[in-house]
Amino acid sequence: MLKTTLAGLRAHLLRLMLTALAITLGVGFVAGTFVLTDTMKAGFDRQFTASAEKVSVAVLAKDDKIPESTLRAVRAVSGVQDAQGQLRGDAPLLGKDGRAYGETPTLGMSMATGALSRYTIEKGRAPAGPGEAVLEKTIAGHTGYRVGDAIRVLDKKGTAHAFTVTGLVDVGVDQEIGFRGAVGFTRPVAAQMTGEHGYMEIDVKGAPGVSDDRLRAAVAAAAGPSFTTVTSHGLAKKLAASSGLDVDSIAMFFLAFAVVALFVAALVIYNTFNILIAQRTREMALLRCVGATRGQVFRSVLIESAVVGLLASALGAIVGIGLGYGAALIFNSGSGMPGGSLTVSPTPFLVGIPVGLAVTVLSALMPARAATRVPPVAALRAQTEGRVKGRAGVLRVIAGALLGAAGIGVAVLALTSKPGQTPFLMVMVAGALLFLGVIALSPLIVRALSGIVGWPPARIFGVPGRLALANSRRNPKRAAVTTVALTVGVTLMTMFSVALTSVRSTADSSLRDQFPVDYQLSTQTGDDDRPIAGDAVARLRAKPEFSAVIEIRTASATVGGHKEDVGSMTQRFLGRDLKPKVTAGSLTDLRPGAVVLHQRRAGGLGARVGGTVSVRTRQGTANLRVAAIVSGESILPDVLLDETDFTRSFGPKDPEQVYLIAKPGISTLSSRAAVDDALKAYPAVRVQSAADIKDQLSKALDQVFLLVAGLLALAIVISLIGIANTLTLSVVERTRESALLRALGLTRRGLRRMLSLEALIISLIGALIGVVLGTALGWVAISAALDSAVLGLPIGRIVLFVVLAAVAGVAAAIMPGRRAARTSIVESLAAE
Amino acid sequence: MTSTVVGAPPAVLAENVVKEYGSGEAAVRALHGVSVGFARGAFTAIMGPSGSGKSTLMHCLAGLDTVNQGAIRIGDVEITRLSDKQLTLLRRDRVGFIFQAFNLLPTLTAEQNILLPLELSGRTPDRRWFDQVVDTIGLRPRLTHRPSELSGGQQQRVACARALVSRPEVIFADEPTGNLDSRSGAEVLSFLRSSVREMGQTIVMVTHDPVAASYADRVVFLRDGRITSELHRPTPDSVLDALKRLES
Repeated sequence: MLKTTLAGLRAHLLRLMLTALAITLGVGFVAGTFVLTDTMKAGFDRQFTASAEKVSVAVLAKDDKIPESTLRAVRAVSGVQDAQGQLRGDAPLLGKDGRAYGETPTLGMSMATGALSRYTIEKGRAPAGPGEAVLEKTIAGHTGYRVGDAIRVLDKKGTAHAFTVTGLVDVGVDQEIGFRGAVGFTRPVAAQMTGEHGYMEIDVKGAPGVSDDRLRAAVAAAAGPSFTTVTSHGLAKKLAASSGLDVDSIAMFFLAFAVVALFVAALVIYNTFNILIAQRTREMALLRCVGATRGQVFRSVLIESAVVGLLASALGAIVGIGLGYGAALIFNSGSGMPGGSLTVSPTPFLVGIPVGLAVTVLSALMPARAATRVPPVAALRAQTEGRVKGRAGVLRVIAGALLGAAGIGVAVLALTSKPGQTPFLMVMVAGALLFLGVIALSPLIVRALSGIVGWPPARIFGVPGRLALANSRRNPKRAAVTTVALTVGVTLMTMFSVALTSVRSTADSSLRDQFPVDYQLSTQTGDDDRPIAGDAVARLRAKPEFSAVIEIRTASATVGGHKEDVGSMTQRFLGRDLKPKVTAGSLTDLRPGAVVLHQRRAGGLGARVGGTVSVRTRQGTANLRVAAIVSGESILPDVLLDETDFTRSFGPKDPEQVYLIAKPGISTLSSRAAVDDALKAYPAVRVQSAADIKDQLSKALDQVFLLVAGLLALAIVISLIGIANTLTLSVVERTRESALLRALGLTRRGLRRMLSLEALIISLIGALIGVVLGTALGWVAISAALDSAVLGLPIGRIVLFVVLAAVAGVAAAIMPGRRAARTSIVESLAAE
Repeated sequence: MTSTVVGAPPAVLAENVVKEYGSGEAAVRALHGVSVGFARGAFTAIMGPSGSGKSTLMHCLAGLDTVNQGAIRIGDVEITRLSDKQLTLLRRDRVGFIFQAFNLLPTLTAEQNILLPLELSGRTPDRRWFDQVVDTIGLRPRLTHRPSELSGGQQQRVACARALVSRPEVIFADEPTGNLDSRSGAEVLSFLRSSVREMGQTIVMVTHDPVAASYADRVVFLRDGRITSELHRPTPDSVLDALKRLES
């Protein structure tokens, strides 16, 4: 029996090629993920080791920074050739616009010299004294500064100092520097600029012949127990641990998409084997006639799938190596991560091949069972070609309806509960249930939709169009599985697209309707001890361009027993210019002794309007009456105190944030000039216009979309392979039919067009189901996750998905179409 | 009763047709310079033992297959000079087909199948002619049925109607009764004969069944790729005799 199976396999190899390709790509994704993460890990490890190898022993600060006296003590240890301290502190770099660059202050750091110099100077040279600095290369790229440029950096007190950029430095992977950017100085200049005197780390170089371990013991004794002393090996480990790189979560994220790709591949495999078995009914029956048992037929199909699965998965693992390496190269060039050479562990093979094999064999199970039901007598009957098998079974309809109802039920439940993470997860469950329901009902849906989608081609393209429509409906189950494979990708793509657009429109509408501010002034994050100077606010108030200058002050207090940030705002603008969505109570009731809470805090405190909340400050505890509860996106403090209460509790202080609203009719240009003029002397204040904020959000959302779209692309490619595959197999099956049509006078072009239109109908149906399902899920997800969500519909993008799906579907029909058109009429008519 | 006009050009004419399969050493010559004409408005049967080349001859005559040498004319067109596209259009407009099996598209109803050639060429069906053809084959109540809902004989009658409805210059029938029981076969053959007698249709039929051949006006015998003899106004017995002579 095995011989027969293998012989059959050889004969059908061509028919299985596209299926194998689907498996190969799916497994390639899985294997590629492992190769990517392995390569990244190895690259980092190498880099950390290289970086740490320059030092023999390092003393690391724990809670307190390391004082100068410790450095002196370490230097005195015998066997120490050199020891240098590393200083780090805030040193905001001013951008070319004269304002502090970035969301957080730039890091100022001391540059080690000599053998202990850990970082690579890429261009120019290290700073040699006062007035000289090097820039970390990423921030140099972002700000546009080059070697030889003059830069200005704020010191601890906020005074700007001028430096010349002597070089650009590559610090490798360092989470803090990667996030904030860095300016390097000589040690004395660093101390002066940052106002820091203690060291983060002391790097020690041992004299030749002194082992790291012995040196570590001696240095540890000198440094004392309040600091950690490690060898270069330990330092490499520490660096890796603190780099903040979570390669495993990257792997998980990618693998989630790999699962989607494999699911789509499974659908393609299932369909292929079903079609193959329908086509080989006679062959199966003949086997039964000559004495094969049902079990043998069943096993023969499974063995066939196992061989295909194994070969394709092995190939997939190899393809994955290429994919993973390619992705690693893209990552490297995109983010300055270390360019690692390809690292392949056994994981891609150990995971990829069994997964691919399992998916293939499991997908072939049902078709294999169908093969056992072929009665021996079928061998004697004329070949029935992929006959339309009855209507969708009652069981199928019931299952579909139940799954659909369950999905809708969970979605409704999610929508009616309070927005947050749990309902969002419920929506995901609802999505999965709905999708399974759609799969169950898909033969019916496809049949119904094909009439609508296929109507225009049937009208426009005459006979080929009508035949295409009829063909797309002749085997609803087959068409449905082909379609659903495409639907998976399109649904997810649409869902993400709709959700992201909704996030944007929610933010936009809250900016437009509730918080129509034109500028948001803030200090850099992590720089709260330097609020916006009162003088700056006074200058802004003096500008006639603004109708409102709203100060937001915040402070820490204990609210209802929990430590919380509380705040106040320039209160006369509340409800007049800033109109947060009020769910209960009234904003005008915010008077001394009262508080306005955001819903997300009110829930936790169990507070309701009219009730009280205890707020403890240094001035004592007060029970504040809840005047109102607000919800939705808000730029106000969640616990908003009355202004006079706030000042009484925390004393007069400068605001952390200021919102500006321009008078009507003031152009953006003149309001911006007014802001810049008022803040000329305050470079540390960050200015963001409403347009900036919108832009930033758009960019961030677009990036997320691109990433997701890129990862979903493979699933969609696999589903297109599925379409090509189904068509190819159908062409084989309809050889005689095609020949008859050609004999009756259908041109080759007509035949090709017929197949293209069939593919068009299938892919359009798949895309349409996906778009509808995806839009619904996206909306429900956003409504469940966000408070007062404003739903958006990215019509342009959705139309693009549908058009792309249609074009890709037609492209998938090219090869099968050529094949069908090429076949000789006489031979095909004679063929069994 | 044949309406052949003496001296009128034949509907289909083959001159010195040679057909080879394969090439070089492995070449098999299926037709050795066949020359034969088929009169307009006549029902001609081509007979011969298996491998005599009768199907090959028909495929070449119908423009389904190419020839290596010689010329074939359908009406005034020399089809051996046409491109694939021109051939397709010729088939569509001037030739009708009836095959042994698998004559109909499973996705179309009987009526759609009958009208298919007309629709392919974008012609509007002549409704009266359509009705006449449908009534003659007696399938009016079955027009909305799909092939899977029809018996073999009914399917073949639909195929006949399809071939007739476009009023082609010639209809080629390849073993049209090969898959039918004798009653259904007789029905189909009578219908073909009456379409020739009453509607003036030209039919060329390949068969190996002497009874089927006896419905024709003339039988052409083929052996080893050559025309060996012919018979006019055949009866089953005279055909059988001719066959016996052919095989000896």
